[in-house]
Amino acid sequence: MNSIEVNNLTKVYDSRFKKNAVTALKDFNLNVESGSIFGLLGPNGAGKTTLIKILLGITFPTKGSASILGEDISNYNVRKKIGYLPENHKFPNYLTGPEVLTYFSKLSGYENPNLNIRIDEMLALVKMDQWKKMKIKKYSKGMMQRLGLAQAMINDPELIFLDEPTDGVDPIGRKEIRDILVDVKNQGKTIFLNSHLLSEVELITDRVAILNKGIMLREGDVKELTISKELFKITIKGEPDEDNIKSALQDFLISKLEKNIVYVKLDSSDEIDKVIDSLRKNNFSILSVENQKNTLEDMFISLINETEKKI
Amino acid sequence: MKNILTLSQYTFREAMARKIFLTFFAVSSFVLILFVILFVSVSIEEMASMISVNGNEAFDFISKIVEVMKIAIIAPLFVGGLFLSIFSASSFIPNMLEKGSIDLLLSKPVSRAQIILGKFFGGFAIVLLNIAYLVVGLWLLIGVKFNVWDTSILLSIVMISFTFAVLYSLIILVGILTRSSILAMMLTYIIFFILSPVLLLRDKISILIDNVVVEYLLDGLYYIIPKTAELSNININIAQGLGIDEYQPIISSFLFMILTLALSITIFNKKDY
Ligand SMILES: Nc1ncnc2c1ncn2[C@@H]1O[C@H](COP(=O)(O)OP(=O)(O)OP(=O)(O)O)[C@@H](O)[C@H]1O
Ligand SMILES: [Mg+2]
Repeated sequence: MNSIEVNNLTKVYDSRFKKNAVTALKDFNLNVESGSIFGLLGPNGAGKTTLIKILLGITFPTKGSASILGEDISNYNVRKKIGYLPENHKFPNYLTGPEVLTYFSKLSGYENPNLNIRIDEMLALVKMDQWKKMKIKKYSKGMMQRLGLAQAMINDPELIFLDEPTDGVDPIGRKEIRDILVDVKNQGKTIFLNSHLLSEVELITDRVAILNKGIMLREGDVKELTISKELFKITIKGEPDEDNIKSALQDFLISKLEKNIVYVKLDSSDEIDKVIDSLRKNNFSILSVENQKNTLEDMFISLINETEKKI
Repeated sequence: MKNILTLSQYTFREAMARKIFLTFFAVSSFVLILFVILFVSVSIEEMASMISVNGNEAFDFISKIVEVMKIAIIAPLFVGGLFLSIFSASSFIPNMLEKGSIDLLLSKPVSRAQIILGKFFGGFAIVLLNIAYLVVGLWLLIGVKFNVWDTSILLSIVMISFTFAVLYSLIILVGILTRSSILAMMLTYIIFFILSPVLLLRDKISILIDNVVVEYLLDGLYYIIPKTAELSNININIAQGLGIDEYQPIISSFLFMILTLALSITIFNKKDY
């Protein structure tokens, strides 16, 4: 089953002057499977926040349709089962942490006779229990973010949208948040994540989509995306001539060549034998062969660069 | 319904948390204290001797002085109370529409109409409470001092709050359209202090200018714009127990309020945040 389905979604932000209109999303399609962690990646202004806002009825689509938890997005009642942490969120600053959670659980229509216990649990989960009496206006950025996460989970939602959840949080806190998210996923909930921190996304997401200028560039399993083309680092003994290496490996894709170190990109790891054979045939002696897995970040950067060139 | 209630409740809390409403209460309390001091330091006999009447007419005199006092209190109360209320309510909508707050609010299972109505009733409730505090306080003081327990002054609470509700609907509309509390406040003050009193004199102005177009324009404006000047007169009359001789200003202002709220909801329903 899919928790989110998006069909041909287009969003144009109109401007008083036609030429300033921004197409934030263009014919966007997406399905997010229930019970998974999905990461939406993309550079600043790619349209990530816009997508979440449309799904939650904050902004309206120009064209196309979408549903969450099987209901059309225009049905606001479905949001009872949704949690949301907006980017740069603001809470009523005259309230304390527990009061904020009470307020938003009421607005979410969340019924729980033991709400106070739930609030305490949530505050403990995000390590905010020692600041229960402090007013929001005195919070630091990381504290705001932690309370924001608690807020997004207070109503025990089925589907949680998080826009840059670790923004402003210290490294230990980020690890804690990742653990919380994995935990929540293991309870069968779906998490939709917007982030720039690719190394983090890589650690917890099941699937990712990469978006640039409102257009979906790629979508898939994190593992598939990062290993699809394998990169090998081969170190050659001595000080070999670069041109000789190139001619020896002319059937293969060399992604980088630095003195005695050559990086080759292969379609499958089985081909590495052939690479070594070619090098040996040309009398190079090999010091080491290492499998360089692409990080999500490498993949992201090269993908974005490729498309930037085309446009 | 529950959503509207929750939203009103928190609008109320927001107002309480802001110093401006404390100021409102402080000013009201200050006015009440002034009257306590006045009533304690000046005896009824002294007041009577100031206007030189003899004992037989004492009862008549008391009701007369209470009448005068009521007029002297009610008219400034209307202006002052509304001035402060408009000032304090003008930032509700722009605050709510701030980036980061509105996103969160709209992501909850609440309709946009419920949000507007929640803000409306919350703001209304706090003004009602403030005005009631002041008017009931004055009523009690007058009652204790002169032993005159005339409830018609309490009707002022209804009239002032009603006038506020009408103006508040405009504050909400301007807030939704421009996100500017200053603009909402200015426009409301202009109607309250200038347009409505001027339009009340439109017959005289028409005679002066003697131009059919101007006449129609003034007439048109008169019927569109909330008639706060007339509501103020009605307020003075009912506070004296004189009743209401013309309902048109009340009905047309009420219609203005309903239409303005409906328009606010319609516009809010279509806006991207
Ligand atoms: N309310 C708005 N009015 C007009 N244009 C907007 C509005 N909101 C966003 N945009 C534009 O839409 C595009 C996408 O913005 P969006 O906020 O979705 O990007 P994002 O991917 O979330 O970026 P970031 O990583 O910086 O948060 C940008 O060009 C932005 O300028
Ligand atoms: Mg964003």
